[in-house]
Amino acid sequence: MKKGIVMFAHNNRQIDYVKMAIISAKLAKKNLGVPVSLITDPSTVEWMRESNIFKVASEVFESIIITERPKDENTRVIFDGTEKVASPFKNANRNSVWDLTPYDRTLLIDTDYFVLSNNLNEYWNVDSDILIAESYNDIFGQERTGYLDRHVSETGIKMLWATTVMFTKNENTKVFFDLVEHIRQNYKQFADLFRFNSAIYRNDIAFSVARHIMYGYETDNDYSLPPVLSITDKDHLYDIDNDGNLVIMISPKLDGVYCAAKIGGNDLHVMNKQSILRNSEKLMGLA
Amino acid sequence: MQEEFKKALDFSNYRQTFSIQRKTLKEKIDAKLTYGINGGIFKIDRSLLNFVEMLIYKDRSENVVILDVNENPILIENLVEFREEIFDRYFTATLEYYEEYQNLKKSRSVEALLES
Repeated sequence: MKKGIVMFAHNNRQIDYVKMAIISAKLAKKNLGVPVSLITDPSTVEWMRESNIFKVASEVFESIIITERPKDENTRVIFDGTEKVASPFKNANRNSVWDLTPYDRTLLIDTDYFVLSNNLNEYWNVDSDILIAESYNDIFGQERTGYLDRHVSETGIKMLWATTVMFTKNENTKVFFDLVEHIRQNYKQFADLFRFNSAIYRNDIAFSVARHIMYGYETDNDYSLPPVLSITDKDHLYDIDNDGNLVIMISPKLDGVYCAAKIGGNDLHVMNKQSILRNSEKLMGLA
Repeated sequence: MQEEFKKALDFSNYRQTFSIQRKTLKEKIDAKLTYGINGGIFKIDRSLLNFVEMLIYKDRSENVVILDVNENPILIENLVEFREEIFDRYFTATLEYYEEYQNLKKSRSVEALLES
C-alpha cells in the first residue's frame, strides 16, 4: 500500500499558498519520511514558473497535480496579529482529493500545518478508512476557545477539524467524499438542517456533517487523528531559533498584547499565514 | 513587531509563558506515548505496562488480545516484543519529559524559558 501526503494550494493576491506548501511539505517529508504531492491549478503553476520556485517545488513534491481552479470563492477576514484584510480563498475542491491522490493511504493536510514530529506515523495502519482530527487545541488552552470551535452550531453536532485527514482510497471513502461534495453543493439546506452558519463554506463543517451521516447520524467513538494544536491568526510566528524551535507571540486575550513561547517537537497549525511567509527563508532551512 | 516582542519578554508574562511551555511539553510527551500497531492505537501508560507484564508473568505471551484506546480488540502475536517496545518508548519519553521539565522549572525569566 503506497502512502503519502497531499496538499492543496491555490494562490491569491494576498497569500502565497504554494510557498507555504513547500515549507510544510519539506517538514512533513523530513519528519514522517513519506512523499508529498501537491494539487494546484494552471494559474498558480504559471506563477510558480514566473517566480522561479517551480524547480524547488518539483524537487520537494513527488508529483504536482494540476486541476481546474475552483470557481466558487469564499472571502473572509484574515488577521496578521492586529492587522486585518479581506482575503479570497479557494477551498471548495477538497473532496476531489479522492480522485486525484496518487496514494492508497493519504494524509491530507493544510499548507499552514507544520509537521514537526513523527507522531502521525502511528496512524497509517489504523483500522479505519477515514480519520479526521478530533478537535481544535488552542495553544493557550480552553480559555480562548468557544463552543463553536467544538461544535458546528449552538445546537449542532461535534466539530471535527479537516486540517488533518487520513484516508484509504476505497469504495467507502468514495461515498464519504461524494457526500462532502453533495453537502458543499447544498450548503444552505444542510445549514438549515444542522443549524450552522452558511455564510462561508467550511470544510471542517462539511467533513463533520458527512462523517455524522456516514455513521448513521450517531456520535461515534471511532478512531480519529490527534487534536490540532493551533495558534490563531491574531498570534504571530515570530522567529525560528538556532535549535529549530518556533518562537511564537501569543495574544492571550486576542487584543494585540502578547506573551512569548517556543514550540519544538509538536505539530503546529499556524493560522497567521503572513507570519509564515515573513519567516519563509528560515522555515525552509528547518527541513 | 520587535517592540511587541520586547514587551512579550517582560517578567509579568512569566507565568503565561511557563504555562504554555508546560502544556505543549506535556502534549509532546503524550504524543510520544501513542503507539499504533496491528490496526489499533494504544496509550502507553502505567496501566498498560502493568497489564502486559502481568500477562507475561502468567505465561500468556503469544496471540493475546488486548483492548486499545477505543476498546477495540487487537491481536498481539508476540507480547514480549510488544512489551519491549512499549517499555522502551515509555522510558525514553518520560526521561525526555523529566529533563525538559527540569529545564523549564529552573528558568526564572521569559528569556530563559525560551532558551531552555
